[in-house]
Amino acid sequence: MTQKHINKKNSVWRYSLATILIIAGIILSYLNIGTEFLGFPSVGSWLIYVGFIMLAIVTLQLMSNKKRIVDERMQFVATKAARITFIGIILFAFVIMVIDGIKPINIAYSYFMSYLICGIILLYLVSYKILLRFN
Amino acid sequence: MKNNIAELRKKSKITQQKLADEVKVTRQTIISLEFGRYNPSLELAYKITKALKQKHIEDVFDLKSIEI
Repeated sequence: MTQKHINKKNSVWRYSLATILIIAGIILSYLNIGTEFLGFPSVGSWLIYVGFIMLAIVTLQLMSNKKRIVDERMQFVATKAARITFIGIILFAFVIMVIDGIKPINIAYSYFMSYLICGIILLYLVSYKILLRFN
Repeated sequence: MKNNIAELRKKSKITQQKLADEVKVTRQTIISLEFGRYNPSLELAYKITKALKQKHIEDVFDLKSIEI
């Protein structure tokens, strides 16, 4: 299977996911399920927003003709970065447990999860870029 | 693992980018290989040997430097 075919297949998956998110958002908004969420009036409107952002990103990726090479060193570095991220999550969970034991943390679950996911992505990207430079 | 990619490449008057394109890796990977920061897979080692017009892998990579 060529790289072009793989990209096309990935795009179909991403478009499908974006469409599902938008449809789920519309259904939730229509049924009035979910209150304020991450600064949005409802979960449904947040899902619609994420779906449209995803659609825009996939379309932009498809439009750009930049030839990307993924070689074995990059895969090796990506595996290392994933390992570092995994260890980071475990350490972070431990620190959170200790802090929560000292002083209970009062934060909305949705906010906590969004911070956590952003942190994981950031940690992965930073470790990947650093490892790519020094490996 | 030590190698003499840089010398052979300069001898053949091939740029890092040209060699990278030939073996389908990034230029950064060629740089890493030349500095000995990264050990290639057997497949990549064969491709590099072929691209540098050498007969054996041992002509490009110093297998004696590997600790067993």
